[in-house]
Amino acid sequence: MGMEAPAEVEDAVLLRAAADGDLGAVRVLYERHAPWLTARLMRRCNDREVVVDVVQDTFLAMWQDAATWRSDGEVAGWLWGIAFRRMVSRLRQRKQTVLMPEWDGAATGLLPAAEDQVLLDVEYGDLGTALRRLSPEFRAVVQACVLDGLTTREASRLLGVRENTVKTRLHRAKAQLRGSLADLRLEGLT
Amino acid sequence: MSTTTWHADPNLLRAYVEGRLDAVLSASLERHVDACAHCRSQIGPLVEVPVLEEAWSGIRTGIESGRLPLLVRLAQRLGLPEPTGILLAATASLRLTWLTGGLVTLCFVTLASILADGAALWPFLLVAPLVPVLGVAVSYGPAEEPFEALTVTTPYGRARLIMIRTLAVLTLTLPAAALLGLTLPGPAWVAVAWLGPALAMIPLLLALASLTGPRLAASLLSLGWTGLVLFAARDLPSTWPVEGTQQVAYLTLALLAAAFLWVRSQRTQQIGVAL
Amino acid sequence: MNVQLTGVAKSYGGTPALQDIDLEIGTGVTGLLGPNGAGKTTLLRIIATSIAPDRGEVRLLGHDPHRGHAELVAARRRLGYLPQELGYPADMSTFGFVEYLAVLKEWNDKRARQQEVRRVLGLVDLADLAGKRVSKLSGGQRRRVGLAQALLGDPALLVLDEPTTGLDPAQRATLHRTLSVAARQSSVLLSTHQTEDVAALCERVVVLAAGRIRFDGTVLDLVRSAEGQVWHTEEEVPGAAISWRTGSGRHRVVGGDPPPGAEPAEPTLEDAYLLMLGPEAVTPLPA
Repeated sequence: MGMEAPAEVEDAVLLRAAADGDLGAVRVLYERHAPWLTARLMRRCNDREVVVDVVQDTFLAMWQDAATWRSDGEVAGWLWGIAFRRMVSRLRQRKQTVLMPEWDGAATGLLPAAEDQVLLDVEYGDLGTALRRLSPEFRAVVQACVLDGLTTREASRLLGVRENTVKTRLHRAKAQLRGSLADLRLEGLT
Repeated sequence: MSTTTWHADPNLLRAYVEGRLDAVLSASLERHVDACAHCRSQIGPLVEVPVLEEAWSGIRTGIESGRLPLLVRLAQRLGLPEPTGILLAATASLRLTWLTGGLVTLCFVTLASILADGAALWPFLLVAPLVPVLGVAVSYGPAEEPFEALTVTTPYGRARLIMIRTLAVLTLTLPAAALLGLTLPGPAWVAVAWLGPALAMIPLLLALASLTGPRLAASLLSLGWTGLVLFAARDLPSTWPVEGTQQVAYLTLALLAAAFLWVRSQRTQQIGVAL
Repeated sequence: MNVQLTGVAKSYGGTPALQDIDLEIGTGVTGLLGPNGAGKTTLLRIIATSIAPDRGEVRLLGHDPHRGHAELVAARRRLGYLPQELGYPADMSTFGFVEYLAVLKEWNDKRARQQEVRRVLGLVDLADLAGKRVSKLSGGQRRRVGLAQALLGDPALLVLDEPTTGLDPAQRATLHRTLSVAARQSSVLLSTHQTEDVAALCERVVVLAAGRIRFDGTVLDLVRSAEGQVWHTEEEVPGAAISWRTGSGRHRVVGGDPPPGAEPAEPTLEDAYLLMLGPEAVTPLPA
């Protein structure tokens, strides 16, 4: 591991080779994508065994479905979709709690540096600040539906609450965010 | 909202991997990483190598070995030795499609016999013994086939391979057919009596196949049995094909076939190609 | 001696394929050279215990395979065989195929077996194609799969029927290296109808034609047998039994009397082979 994958070969090309049975292509794709997938999964579930299983399942699924992938969008995004859904279904089966990323910057001891502020502004703009102001009871649904891209049904299965509850909370969270954004504009932070 | 010129600082990435970033920052960073191959590659060295290697060996094994068919996996859970499972997995007639086809055919003929209300048992008596025979015939190829010629030279050997495949086919087909036979109208002993010709035809098939190859042997046997059953169906009682005298005849033929195979295998000139 | 054949003969129908074969093979790489139809495949099949001879005695690795099942299996345990034509069950992957044969060779422990399969696939440079279906491989790749399964377990006797078919020069070089390593402690017997293979790969050579052994010795000895009988001339020599035009524009003549103005040339293995077999070795061109 740690070998620099040749950057010239595109993911899509490798995927086609993998569909044809090339194990070497799978290995290169693995070296490119397994690390960040693993890191991202570990942020949501600190059970290492589960993460290893999910990563295995993801790449085996990639191998099996490689021929059916239509070249729409990035391979990276497609892989994350597979990985996260696998993890959600696995955690649901095991009734394990998902690790919620810590919301309070102060609690983690890491306050956004100037550079990070740039990052926040660049990716989410005001939304980032508004998210920080969100009430705690809304954080789980926003994390699941807004930040991780699950549907309300998938989120309800993950969080173990009824789908209606998810929808209501999401609705209220969005209202709160809209309010915060309006406030922010008033405060002249735009 | 262009992020093409911005890349994450290594410290920021490390903080992310180690879980020290809060939710919003993480989400922001993840949004960026989704689109930026450069930052994705930067995460590589930060993740524990043993974790990545462990997952990889599982993936590699999964791709290399592929998945054994469902039936074989079930059998392995019930105690079938793992290597034997691999040998059986490559058998055509142990695949689900073949077995379902056989089962469906058996159901049809059982139904036909039931509907004829005992007056015509011949559909069932015709098909039931042929299902295992055809299953065995399809499970291996003639000795001249290149792959068969290769398996002959292995320590396990072709003869033993054919034997376990035959056993597997019989284990799967006989009970199902027997159960269906119990639903037949008419005398109860018929439900078991059909096993006579079925079991007798197996050594006959193997013996014949050693001379003509399994496909031709199966065709000949099927023709012979069909002729016998249909001929009997015209004038003779419906249970004639499985009555006592006939069973003795089948048994004799089976013993002759077995003797033939035994003599053939004793002649050392054959080097395990008795079958 | 790992292989000893005495008075072996085999006929198909009425046609004799092998007659009076006396052969001994020890460690190292031995080439079996001969034209098509010479009986090479039949001989290799007898040594690989795929078929039995009509007459004669066979001893393999100290066992008599025709004296009971136990001896036969004992011999087969230390044998690796690549047949001339490779058959495989439909829709099997490369790894699956070699693993299947590993099971037939009594590798019952899953982990050890899979490691061994990976090892032999690595030896023939097919590790990356492990997941690919055998039916989708090229001819040369399929040959290498066949070679891989023959190499399982480092057999003491390796019997290879036309292993170089479909291999490009780079792959032949890899094959050479692999076989050289194997031949340090095993007997490698390979058949071919091309002299270049023997020259590149073998120390000893057995020339077989029309079912009989014509030569059995070192490659060097075979080459020397043509000494003094090969020439270069500027012009074509009418009536010469074996001659052809070389790349440099001159004519190479093998055998017979030296034509006028001829320059003696260094004999090659091919010259010696042609000389030994005469018209039998040369396939006639269509008229």
